[in-house]
Amino acid sequence: MFEFIVFFFFAAVAVVFALVVILHRNPVVGALSLVVSFFALAVIYVLLDAPFLAALQVIVYAGAIMVLFLFVIMLLNLQHMSEPATRPIQQFLGYTTSAAFVLGLVYYLVKYAVFTSLPSGPFQTDSRAIGMAIFESYVFPFEMVSILLLAAIVGALLLSGRATGERARIGQEVSS
Amino acid sequence: MIPTHYFLILSAILFSIGVCGVLTRRNGITIFMSIELMVNAVNLTFLAYARQFHQLHGLIFVFFVMAIAAAEAAVGLAIFISLFHHRETIDVDEANLMHW
Repeated sequence: MFEFIVFFFFAAVAVVFALVVILHRNPVVGALSLVVSFFALAVIYVLLDAPFLAALQVIVYAGAIMVLFLFVIMLLNLQHMSEPATRPIQQFLGYTTSAAFVLGLVYYLVKYAVFTSLPSGPFQTDSRAIGMAIFESYVFPFEMVSILLLAAIVGALLLSGRATGERARIGQEVSS
Repeated sequence: MIPTHYFLILSAILFSIGVCGVLTRRNGITIFMSIELMVNAVNLTFLAYARQFHQLHGLIFVFFVMAIAAAEAAVGLAIFISLFHHRETIDVDEANLMHW
């Protein structure tokens, strides 16, 4: 019973703050609401027997990625910039499409994906079990991710730095 | 113990909110945050099925998705900084250089 109360409370928090993200005009408010939504999702991960991934969710998403978002919003001074209103036809199509999408998804989930049997027994998901699996059967994808992160660092530095020399000349030609 | 389909329905709702944000907003940063919301909804689905079938593979996939979302956020935000230097705006309708 207690589990259900926790689930419904934090599910409601996650959904409400996710709605604030897409409806609020100020991107700073949006970023902070997204942090709250991620925290609520971390609680739901704990309910799913995955405390290690809940900790990763708080540290990596709420900690690192959202700080990066806030940092960029502050750096570009976007908190005072007013966003022009979207065209009414785009708004109408966007809202109706996503409403139809959620109704269809929930309909098919309720119709076909209801598991009558609950998972049996405890599910061993501590950091030891995950580490063993990563470094035994997933060691190649793990190394690939490290190379991908290196490429992302180089790409981010290259894209966000001020262009100089030849690159600056090409940029001038392209933007004029 | 909470049944698995509760988590799946929550994930579907969060994913659709993300889709709605991508379709209706013009601020590039907000669109990006909506994409993060969709990534998280997919992670929730992975974890729900991992618990239902007692498979560690779902959890490890969530781990990789988080790493790739971090890389994607870094590169995407760098692209928006670059766009802001050129156009003084991050309205995605202004980024129409490759528009037909």
